[in-house]
Amino acid sequence: MTSDSSLAVDLHHVAKTYRGKVHALRGVRMQVRRGEIFGLLGPNGAGKSTLVKIMMTIVRPTRAEGTVLARPIAHTATLARTGYLPENGRFPRYLTARQAVEHYGALAKVPRRMRKRRANELLDTVGMTQWSDKRIAAFSKGMVQRIALAQALVNDPELILLDEPTDGVDPVGRRGIRDLLGHLRQAGKTVFLNSHMLGEVEMICDRVAILVEGLVVRQGSMEELTAERTYYEIELHGLDPDKAARTAWTALGCEPMASSETPSQPEAATPEVLRGRLSDGCGVEMDGDRVRVASPDPAKAQVALDRLRAAGLVIRSFKPVRQSLEDLFIETVSSNNRVKGGAR
Amino acid sequence: MSQTLTILNDGLRRLRARKIFWLAMVLTILVAASQATVGINEQGLTFLGYQLDTPMLSTAQMSPEAFYKLMFTNVGLSVWLSWIATILALISTAGIFPDLMAGGTIDLVLAKPIGRLRLMLTEYVGGLLFVTLQVAVFTGISILIIGIRGGAWEPGLLLAIPIVVAFFSFLFCVCVGLGVLTRSTVAALLLTIGFWFGLYVLNSVDSVLINLRAEGDILIERRERAIADMESALEQTAQTDTDGESRMRPRLENHRRELTRQRDQQATIERIHKGIVTAKTFLPKTGETIDLLERVLVSTAELPGFDEDDFSEPQAPGDHSIGYVPQSQLQQRVVAMTRARSVWWILGTSLAFEVVVLGGAAWIFCRRDF
Repeated sequence: MTSDSSLAVDLHHVAKTYRGKVHALRGVRMQVRRGEIFGLLGPNGAGKSTLVKIMMTIVRPTRAEGTVLARPIAHTATLARTGYLPENGRFPRYLTARQAVEHYGALAKVPRRMRKRRANELLDTVGMTQWSDKRIAAFSKGMVQRIALAQALVNDPELILLDEPTDGVDPVGRRGIRDLLGHLRQAGKTVFLNSHMLGEVEMICDRVAILVEGLVVRQGSMEELTAERTYYEIELHGLDPDKAARTAWTALGCEPMASSETPSQPEAATPEVLRGRLSDGCGVEMDGDRVRVASPDPAKAQVALDRLRAAGLVIRSFKPVRQSLEDLFIETVSSNNRVKGGAR
Repeated sequence: MSQTLTILNDGLRRLRARKIFWLAMVLTILVAASQATVGINEQGLTFLGYQLDTPMLSTAQMSPEAFYKLMFTNVGLSVWLSWIATILALISTAGIFPDLMAGGTIDLVLAKPIGRLRLMLTEYVGGLLFVTLQVAVFTGISILIIGIRGGAWEPGLLLAIPIVVAFFSFLFCVCVGLGVLTRSTVAALLLTIGFWFGLYVLNSVDSVLINLRAEGDILIERRERAIADMESALEQTAQTDTDGESRMRPRLENHRRELTRQRDQQATIERIHKGIVTAKTFLPKTGETIDLLERVLVSTAELPGFDEDDFSEPQAPGDHSIGYVPQSQLQQRVVAMTRARSVWWILGTSLAFEVVVLGGAAWIFCRRDF
């Protein structure tokens, strides 16, 4: 199998079936480039943790084609070049913070002198220096999570897989972790982030994949994934919100259209929202005193703007709106559920 | 290698963090040291300086060296190390694998570049450290006591360390196998103790059957000798004393019938015993393993009650003592039968059992998804 050296993770087909009947992963295909922060999203039970655990040899795949750091998936020796922070990691309670980091460093084959130095550095980085010699038994969940992060980095890994790294961490700590991930990216490390915190993922990830029911349904950079859902929003001024939609509808000379062509997220669509199509075929939605034009092309939005102004309506604002990751995620998951429902 | 040492070091840390480890160590030291409170002289035993008149246990019967060695093997080893300390060790180590395999813990370890088989075997060896430390401390103190009070420095006692560790490993492998299978400390511990109890029952039955066989052998030999004597006497009397012959012949017939019955009974016992021994072949020989040390350290001549003069033979043909078996003769026969079992059979088959159980546990551990 040939592997692209620019890819830290290159999965062609990863499948996992539990007990011969539960299909956790159904042929995952995913590429993570070196030096980027990659976010893996998905609803509960999508198979995110299973995928990460397969890469970390914790779960045995039913089928695994692809590479991690240019070596076959689940290659034990490659684990010396990776770091892993599991979801709900548990440390032996009798270890101190420093002993824990050094212990896992030794298991990761870090030479003794280096791991002592790394332990000090990392405990400082995760803000645990003052608790270095305290036993983990006395730590809060957030403190344990910081230790888990430190041990994941103790071998100075090329690829770091983090499963819910900010779980239980306070807001200051979360920001610290985000900053740390940024530094890791600057240092050329690859970060694979598995998280439910969509806001965080959006803030720090270069590329994301959305996993639904064991399959990658979306994958790409934040811009690529949200560009096709960018729309323009025109806010009208001085209209009765209850009548604004109808007034705009008349001004634009809309024709009715299917709801799937609407620009906004499905949750925003209520029975009062009017959807139609402009004469050039561009979708448009009227939601109270807001008109959304379903096109990333400003020229098309300009047509709608001109018609509204021609009808004497006052424009308060006109702006492009990029879909949030949360909107994209919910739309993707809901659309998958609809397809599944339709298939039934 | 550094990974292996790290895991073993972690095993030691884990032990030191447990109160039961320190409790067991303190008790071990106390029990070992308490051997020094008992002494032996011409009149009998002494305890904390008080004289106890026990003529059967005095230097007339055995040397101080043999006394202390027997005390070490029969009390220290057979009672303390192989029962009480073992239970404490099982309680302390039963959780090693269920804890290791708990969600969140195993993830951190398996994500490191260490093979699952190596991880499992190293953790297993780490579990044996508990008993190794205990028995090493106990043996060290005992060597000092035997040297100072018994007047003999017996480095052979150090054999207790591998023997007790081997004995414990036969149970610990079952505990590990059950821990890997069920991931429950309580289930692993209780089922292991149940298994151990099963072995104890099997060993007890074996022991009873050995006694019955030894006793039966002696009785049959005696009756055969009595019959031979009577036949010889009958030949002599037949020519001279017809009355005597007519009196002896029914008794001879009676002996022959009794011998046939005894042989049938002995054959049945031997058949049952063979079944028990066959079953034991596939199981760990816990009792025999512990007895190996006594076999090495104490010769039969040093064992109390092994005086040849004690053996009372039938005095005359048809002697009524034909059905009586002297305890010393029976004991000697039992020890001979027990010691006839080879070290290979005792340790080899037990270790084979351990390999099979550990192999099964490793197969599960290496294939399991966590």
